[in-house]
Amino acid sequence: MTIIHNRPLDDIAETAPTLAGNAFTRAFSGGSLWRLIGMLVLILILGFLTIYPLAMLLYGSLHSTPPGMAGEFNLNGYRSIMTTQNLIVLANTIGISLAKTIPSLTIAVFLAWIVARTDTPFRGTLEVLITLPFFIPPILTAMAWGMLANPQVGVINMVWRWATGATDPLVNIYSYGGVIWHMCQYSIPFLFLFMVDAFRAMDPSLEESSRMCGASRWTTFRKITLLLMLPVLTSSFMLSFIKGIETFESALFFGLPAGIKVITTDIYESINHRATPDYQYATSLSFAIMGLMFLLVIWQWWMLRGKSFQTVTGKGFRPSVMELGPWRWVTFAFCVLFFFITVVLPIGQLMLGSFFRFFGFYTYDMLTLEHYRNVFANSEFWRAVRNTMVLGLLGATATMALGAIVAYISVRTRWRGRNLIDSMAWLPWMMPGMVLGVGFLWAFAMLPGPIPIYGTIWALLLAYIALGTPVSVRVMTGAYHQLSYDLEECSRVHGATWAQTMWRIMVALAWPAFAVGWVLTFFGIMRELSASILLYSVGSETLAVVLMKLWANGNAEQVSVIGLMMMLLVIVFRWVQLSFIKARISKL
Amino acid sequence: MTTNTSMTSAIQKWSRRFFMAAAGSLAISAAAGLPAFAQDAEWQKVVEAGKKEGKLILYTALVGQPSTKQIAAAFTKEYGIEVEILEARASEIRERVRVEQAAGRFAADVMFTSEGQTMLYDKEDKSVDPLPVTPNSQKIGDKFKLKVPMASVMTIPYGIMINTGLVKPADEPKSWKDIADPKWQGKILSDDPRAIGAGYLWFFSTYDKIGEDYVKKVASQKLVFTRDQRESQRRTARGEYSIYMPVIMTDFSDLKGLPVKFIIPEEGVPYVLYGNVMLKKAPHPNAAKLYLDFMQGPVVQKIYAGLGYGPVLPGMTDGLPADVKAISEAKLYGTTDTTRQNEMLAKSKDIFK
Repeated sequence: MTIIHNRPLDDIAETAPTLAGNAFTRAFSGGSLWRLIGMLVLILILGFLTIYPLAMLLYGSLHSTPPGMAGEFNLNGYRSIMTTQNLIVLANTIGISLAKTIPSLTIAVFLAWIVARTDTPFRGTLEVLITLPFFIPPILTAMAWGMLANPQVGVINMVWRWATGATDPLVNIYSYGGVIWHMCQYSIPFLFLFMVDAFRAMDPSLEESSRMCGASRWTTFRKITLLLMLPVLTSSFMLSFIKGIETFESALFFGLPAGIKVITTDIYESINHRATPDYQYATSLSFAIMGLMFLLVIWQWWMLRGKSFQTVTGKGFRPSVMELGPWRWVTFAFCVLFFFITVVLPIGQLMLGSFFRFFGFYTYDMLTLEHYRNVFANSEFWRAVRNTMVLGLLGATATMALGAIVAYISVRTRWRGRNLIDSMAWLPWMMPGMVLGVGFLWAFAMLPGPIPIYGTIWALLLAYIALGTPVSVRVMTGAYHQLSYDLEECSRVHGATWAQTMWRIMVALAWPAFAVGWVLTFFGIMRELSASILLYSVGSETLAVVLMKLWANGNAEQVSVIGLMMMLLVIVFRWVQLSFIKARISKL
Repeated sequence: MTTNTSMTSAIQKWSRRFFMAAAGSLAISAAAGLPAFAQDAEWQKVVEAGKKEGKLILYTALVGQPSTKQIAAAFTKEYGIEVEILEARASEIRERVRVEQAAGRFAADVMFTSEGQTMLYDKEDKSVDPLPVTPNSQKIGDKFKLKVPMASVMTIPYGIMINTGLVKPADEPKSWKDIADPKWQGKILSDDPRAIGAGYLWFFSTYDKIGEDYVKKVASQKLVFTRDQRESQRRTARGEYSIYMPVIMTDFSDLKGLPVKFIIPEEGVPYVLYGNVMLKKAPHPNAAKLYLDFMQGPVVQKIYAGLGYGPVLPGMTDGLPADVKAISEAKLYGTTDTTRQNEMLAKSKDIFK
């Protein structure tokens, strides 16, 4: 069998001094000085991107005034968050996040398995289509769901009343269910994207042998497939759960009318809706949450400690799919249903609405192309497209490169400090975006004058890299966990240089994950507003800033036009990426 | 309009710096006897210096308004000075200015913001300079000559919006008091009065002018709260609710064609006064003075009046279409007072649980 059954990393270290099989390590083994310097540089980069802005925020939480103002150090911020009210809100937030993470993860795993491991028809097309909602600005899907599922005149409820004669609405989006549903709309495609390549890269011989030993499909799925996916699954769970704690669009849009409060709406209010913004309160609350979240990271380390999940090995890697027989139409139907509910319904609304003067008023005399014309004629929009493309391309590439290095060191070496850089890379994910945005503002603006970052496009780029690093590291960690050491050893034995080994093995085999991470990061940058609005300068507007301006001025239809164009771009990107993956896999 | 009590308390808090600016402007207005050409010559120097600076960096908290660019273009046309504009929401842009100045980066010249925010810029952040005296600053209506160092430009009026498909003409609310009628129970979508914003503005002014009982009555109407002004207008238009309040009256023109009606309440419109402040160590101080003056002049005042905002310069609404004119000239009812914000927010949270 190809798997090195739970061969712990410690074993490798013991049996092979300085990890003889590891090309990267050996490349540096000539001088541990170089390794030390490399690590130091990495720690410095990560420190500047993550620790420095967080340190500014920590200062904010411990000081009576924000940086640059006279005040005193005190614990008033932390004292003021210790209220019963906040405890209830925290419990509520955790409940909501769990209620969205568990079903999201279940559905995403199922979808990833269908797309990557079964012979379900049209799975290639489905793979692109079911992820689309993730790439639409949340405010747009919120608006669309508001129109579909409001209790008074929502389309779904109108149809329901018409069909059944009922007077009560079928669904009400302004409720706990609505908040959770809107969050799922984002977390399912995100988790799917995050996991699907791990499923694809799995050696099917393990599943086959399980089946041959008499295990049922279900048992095989549970005991082999899921277990092998443990690093990816735990990472997914944490990314999604933590994001769930921090998301606030859904709660603000659908929760506020129903009196639902979460931690982030409280933070939002303390910055934006108090007489004077209370940064000490906002940052203290964020750090308290961050502390709790870090416990989760420690839990994951503990879970994965000493285990190996290598499924991509030197022997007979043949990614094949499970033949489902007639059941493939059931899995197909599931995907189509999912696509219909999460994509066709909301995005159909946006598309339809973009051709009428006003959303929801679909009469002949309201038909117009004016929103498209206005968007195309808007010079600020084009400038923002250019800026965002440059930032997206540079940012996503740099973020993934950084993520790949951090993940490589933390997964595949035993270097001192690898846990440090791994946890540093987690940090930005644990701070709510709007607070972290303030952290970047303070950090970059307070740099000494000669360092030209604040007020330039570099400030945005650095913030985006920091914000994207957690995902990039997680994606690459998952991929590296799956690659067996014997591949590197084999390559070296056959006389390949270190660089060749890196390129042919580590890059070539992990690159589907790299590509997915790249797309996730790219569109993360495209959507990022909290930091952008605080860091952009005249001339360096990003698309998210332009969208915010249009939305604030009531041009929802124009925002939709741009949202739809972003979606088109996603389809192109994903199509290129997937055809590339297929080409590579067939070469392997 | 600021109440007398708050005026007194604000007067007591006059900063010394402001006092001098006020004294300066008094001196100028009293100087009718001075030869006009002396003042003209002074101003002419500012014009020349501003043109030489050639550029103006404008920060604005009024996000997404096409009028901002229109005005900037008019200004460039008049003086040949380029205007660069940075937009962000009130709290974001204020923090940017504060931290920029704290770090010694004096990037912006002028900030377009509200009277309430100006007080924070002035008292808490100390990020603004005293107002210059400019030719137009003397001509604006007396009640818009403020104690805080803001050159008033226009007022944003707030009223009531109804869905005409759901509310019969006979039932239309005509005043703020009508909102308390039990027939509207569960039918009102309201901007959240528990957070700084339009809902709070309504709460503040009606609490002060009509009284606590009235506000409590409205609170018992089972209002549904929201914080998205524009989307809430659309939701009401689509028939989710009969009434949305308080609505930005100037949005009426954007919603033409939808089954909605904007109502100016009999008592008057709560309003937010917007204007310009000079930021400290402005890199283009003379261009900034010109811009402040230009915004109070007839060109800009007419632009705003034409959109339904309340101009601060008298006589700007002549010749406007009747519906725009009515909104632009609507009686100003009341606004918030920054010095009482903590107290009033607490009250609002208590009443609207």
